[in-house]
Amino acid sequence: MSAEKTEEKDAGISRRTWCLGAVSIVVALGVGTLKITPANAVVRPPGGQDEGAFLASCIRCEKCASICPHDVIVPAHIEEGIVGVRTPVMRFDSNYCDFCEEANDGHPLCAQACPTQTLSLAGVEVANEGVVMGIAELNRDWCLAYRAMGCKSCYDACPFDAIGLDGTGRPYVLEDACNGCGACEVACVAAQSASLLEGQTNRAIVVQPTKA
Amino acid sequence: MKASEKTRLATASAVIVAVAIGYVVNIGSGTLSAPGIWDISVLCPLGALGTMIASHTVIPRAVVSLVLAVVAFVIFGRAFCGWICPVPVVSRLRDILRKGKPATIRVEGAGMPLSEDEKARLGTPCSATERAGKRGCKVDTRHSVLAGAIISTAIFGFPVFCLVCPIGLTFASIMLIINLFATGDVTWSVIAIPALLVVEVILLRKWCYAICPLSALMSLGGKLNRTFVPSIDDAKCLETSKGVKCGRCSAVCTEGIDIRHTQLSKADLSECIKCRACVEHCPSKAVDMPLLPAKKEDVAAVAPQAE
Repeated sequence: MSAEKTEEKDAGISRRTWCLGAVSIVVALGVGTLKITPANAVVRPPGGQDEGAFLASCIRCEKCASICPHDVIVPAHIEEGIVGVRTPVMRFDSNYCDFCEEANDGHPLCAQACPTQTLSLAGVEVANEGVVMGIAELNRDWCLAYRAMGCKSCYDACPFDAIGLDGTGRPYVLEDACNGCGACEVACVAAQSASLLEGQTNRAIVVQPTKA
Repeated sequence: MKASEKTRLATASAVIVAVAIGYVVNIGSGTLSAPGIWDISVLCPLGALGTMIASHTVIPRAVVSLVLAVVAFVIFGRAFCGWICPVPVVSRLRDILRKGKPATIRVEGAGMPLSEDEKARLGTPCSATERAGKRGCKVDTRHSVLAGAIISTAIFGFPVFCLVCPIGLTFASIMLIINLFATGDVTWSVIAIPALLVVEVILLRKWCYAICPLSALMSLGGKLNRTFVPSIDDAKCLETSKGVKCGRCSAVCTEGIDIRHTQLSKADLSECIKCRACVEHCPSKAVDMPLLPAKKEDVAAVAPQAE
């Protein structure tokens, strides 16, 4: 906010202003081209599943993240893509999304609060039936049950009966029933309770973005 | 530090703290990009424009927010810059890093009697052409950043400026740090976002002055601003009452406005951020920032006139 030295005093626009103006427009266009940088698919909050429309309207105001009663909405990491940085994504490290069943009778507060209609549940009667944020994916190499340790934490945790157990009690995901709420991911003990396998980087069951 | 400077620092800091608390307790306070509570909010005017241009959709809340923004600009001019925006608070880090004492304000020849020429200028308002040459009346780089951001948004289909807006980056930095400690959300963003903020606000020292497109929007709206406009009581002003050179009101203005000698002013009154520095630094308490302009002839010489 410091005062600039007097520019050329003519009433018109100085050459310096023209040049700087051109530079700033080029920079603005340059920032726009970041859109072509590679980006990972991410799990969006309820109502933000159309990624193209999402990026077009999200202004990164963090309103959804700030209202989420379970704190499962966080700003996207820069590792997930430059252009999507700070846009909201779901993170099921310590909690899962109950579609605000508890806080707001099943109407997700994030979508209600989104000021730009980026998260829009228009036409969706029951959020936990009409929205598929992602699909849980089970890694059999990491799952304790597949190492005959008898764990079925994810099966017990799933609120939507989207996990089945095979003949020997090993869980598998029923993709048609899964909406990506993350309850299984929160419950998964693999990689949590000192049971980390060599090369294991995550829990054995993780919500992945739906493949469009 | 004068009282109003402290108050301004306090209000802007209070906004930052309020947003951080709102984030932690989940009341949906959003950030300054969409301030409000629960599911009520207004949008940042630039965000509102960007989201509608990029998504080719008329969003009622965005339209309402734009109208409210224009009303706010007309009533308060650029007061947002002086009182609410977190960027000047962040840029204070620069002063802390430099550790230097703020330069004392001195006006050359202060206390000397005015020359006849200078006396003559006191009563003369600047002409339309003189005014048109001032910052805020002609296009500057802020306007081209604004234009560039809008063109880029239309071409690439996302609100481009929101990606790099230092106001957004300030709040994002705070949230990333909260998440880092509260939930162990480890990401390079914790480094990258504050780093970009530092580059924009601390290294590019003229962000507010030469780049900020929000400032451009506010300055455009500020053209219609007639409230809280600094005005001088000629009966008290040292220059008009005693014929002694002073010029402190101009020297303390961070925006380059000279309310006493409008011809010499580098900027138009629409650039005023309502910081009250001129009011507080006036040695004879002649400057005031009234809600409505006084209906006096000589005030008309100071206040901008619709041409």
